Amino acid sequence: MPNMPSSSQTLHDIKQNKPSIRQQLHVLLAFVRQDLIERYSGSLLGGAWSLVMPLIQILIFTLIFSKIMGMKLATFGADLTEYGYSIYLVSGILAWNAFSTTMSRTSKVFLEKAALIKKVPMSLKMLPLYIPVSETVIFVIAYLFFTVFLVLIGYQFSWLWLWLPVIYVLHQMMAWAIGFICGVLSVFIRDINQMVDVGLQVWFWATPIVYVLDIVPETMQTLMSWNPAFWFIDSYHQVILYQKMPEMSYLIATAGIGGLALIVAYKLLGKLEKDLRDFI
Amino acid sequence: MTSFEQATPPVVAVKGVSKGFRLYAKPLDRLKEVILRRSYHQRHEALRDISFDIRPGETLGILGKNGAGKSTLLKLLTGVLLPDSGQINCYGKIAGLLELGAGFDFNLNGIQNIRINGLLLGMTDDEINRLRDEIIEFSELGKYIHEPLRTYSSGMVMRLAFAIGIHASPQCFVIDEALSVGDGRFQQKCVQRIKQFKQQGGAIIFVSHDMNAIKMLCDETIVLEQGKVAYRGAPAEGVNYYYRIMSAAEDQAMLAIDSQDHGHQYGNRKVVCDRVSLIGLGSGSHSLTCGEQAQVDVVFSAQETVMDLTVGIMLRDRFGQDLYGTNTHLLGHELIISAGERKCMRFSFDMHLAPGVYTLSVSLHSQQNHTEDCYHWWDDAVGFEVAGTTGTSFAGVCNLQAQADVVVSKD
Repeated sequence: MPNMPSSSQTLHDIKQNKPSIRQQLHVLLAFVRQDLIERYSGSLLGGAWSLVMPLIQILIFTLIFSKIMGMKLATFGADLTEYGYSIYLVSGILAWNAFSTTMSRTSKVFLEKAALIKKVPMSLKMLPLYIPVSETVIFVIAYLFFTVFLVLIGYQFSWLWLWLPVIYVLHQMMAWAIGFICGVLSVFIRDINQMVDVGLQVWFWATPIVYVLDIVPETMQTLMSWNPAFWFIDSYHQVILYQKMPEMSYLIATAGIGGLALIVAYKLLGKLEKDLRDFI
Repeated sequence: MTSFEQATPPVVAVKGVSKGFRLYAKPLDRLKEVILRRSYHQRHEALRDISFDIRPGETLGILGKNGAGKSTLLKLLTGVLLPDSGQINCYGKIAGLLELGAGFDFNLNGIQNIRINGLLLGMTDDEINRLRDEIIEFSELGKYIHEPLRTYSSGMVMRLAFAIGIHASPQCFVIDEALSVGDGRFQQKCVQRIKQFKQQGGAIIFVSHDMNAIKMLCDETIVLEQGKVAYRGAPAEGVNYYYRIMSAAEDQAMLAIDSQDHGHQYGNRKVVCDRVSLIGLGSGSHSLTCGEQAQVDVVFSAQETVMDLTVGIMLRDRFGQDLYGTNTHLLGHELIISAGERKCMRFSFDMHLAPGVYTLSVSLHSQQNHTEDCYHWWDDAVGFEVAGTTGTSFAGVCNLQAQADVVVSKD
């Protein structure tokens, strides 16, 4: 980024008391840093905690389910079969965690930052952006560890892995946009925060992350193809577990819903921003 | 554009701004309104058709009772709230000292908070890096700047907040009662800094209940009443206007007199004091300027005929200390009142007490002192305030109006 001169002295450039894009970018980065530091400051293990939680989760599920599910997995190589379920689980859970935390936190951001919104002029479109950025940092760190694990068990990486960032961006866009809509509405109807968390719990178990699709009845399986979370979770499974191209229709549908939600979110904010600021 | 006609263009131009709030009985009403498309709210008009502008180097004071719309106006100015109609044009950065400590994270240390708070106040990265040392020095935090904010005392937090705010170098500062930060010496440092900012051409919008500060700092005042500009003009008249609406509404709460508002009273009630008032002849209210003539009226009526009545008054400060008292006996009045009669005694004097909050006590008794036959003693019957000074300013509790001359030394 080019080094622009300090903008505070140019009287005529700034017609409104609105911070420039560059300024907002700095604020965004400061928020991300603050978010990451704050989460682990004062703890001994620091950033390692972001790994411990999913690790425990994965361990529990592996211990409980691997024997049941392991059989059902058509894995790619005989030597990896014993890890098949673990790979299935980890690839699903990491994606789901990024998706659900982003949605849940974005839906709470306006109420959480109310003190700030009431005091400082701040773009409400930009403010919640720090959440997906900070969640991405966590996601990348988790994936680094996952990759190390895969290398250790002799996993063969392929070019198909380049699909992962695309899948990630698409489902994060969807998570953020839906979270944003809920966030705007939650200022007026506070119950929405609880609804989002309950909804995400249900959604988690309604998606084949811990279990495999084969164990649900046929009729349910067709129903499952309408579950947006299934679209991106399955895409991860296809790439990582089965070394296949993700289903294109799933990716397009994810992008479509994400884009639509994004438009709705911004339209909603445009309509309700004044009331939101009054009401918060 | 009108700004071409003026010598200097305004920093902030407010044109016909109105703002109302919808009040809902319960949050659900709001949802009902969206779904049923019927109105479920009451409207509260916080501001109606406000217009003013402020130029570089000017200080505008905003006065008004609680609920007159001051805070709403400030929030509109800083862009935290959006107006219903009208326009607010800002040519430059507005920073509010009402945002003191906005976004402070108590788990981060001082340095990290300077960065976040500075960015939120609209400072650029370069500015923050350049001014960091100056901010730390101004805040007087020393080595504590490396400690997390949760270990700070509240005074230290406010000092840091003010230091950042004042270094944000906007074109216009919005100050909302923020000058009561830290101890007296630090406050003075802040006031110095604000004056310096003004001299360098910065504009200031100042909201305070400290009438003294308004008179000292402002070039112009706006008095808001029920969301409208009720008065606009010079600070001294603005303050007087403000006091008039305050006393009209009998908003005694403004004067920080103890809650025992009508004081403690005793006596044998042979003569009863009905009403006491203290007003300044200039302001026409119970808020006076130091140097202004004060008028005390004591209205009393007799149940029995009294041959040697004395009416006394006593001024006390907020600590209950007697400052000045006198009575009709000392002033050479012989008072006789017959049963059923009603009289008014008027005391006039120049108010030379220093700015502050005071009370007036009244006594009705026989002859010189109240120990023999006390008819009615009324402690802290009314409160009054002295704000600002006419003529030369002075230090201390009262103006003794000293003269200074050069004379030949006798040694």
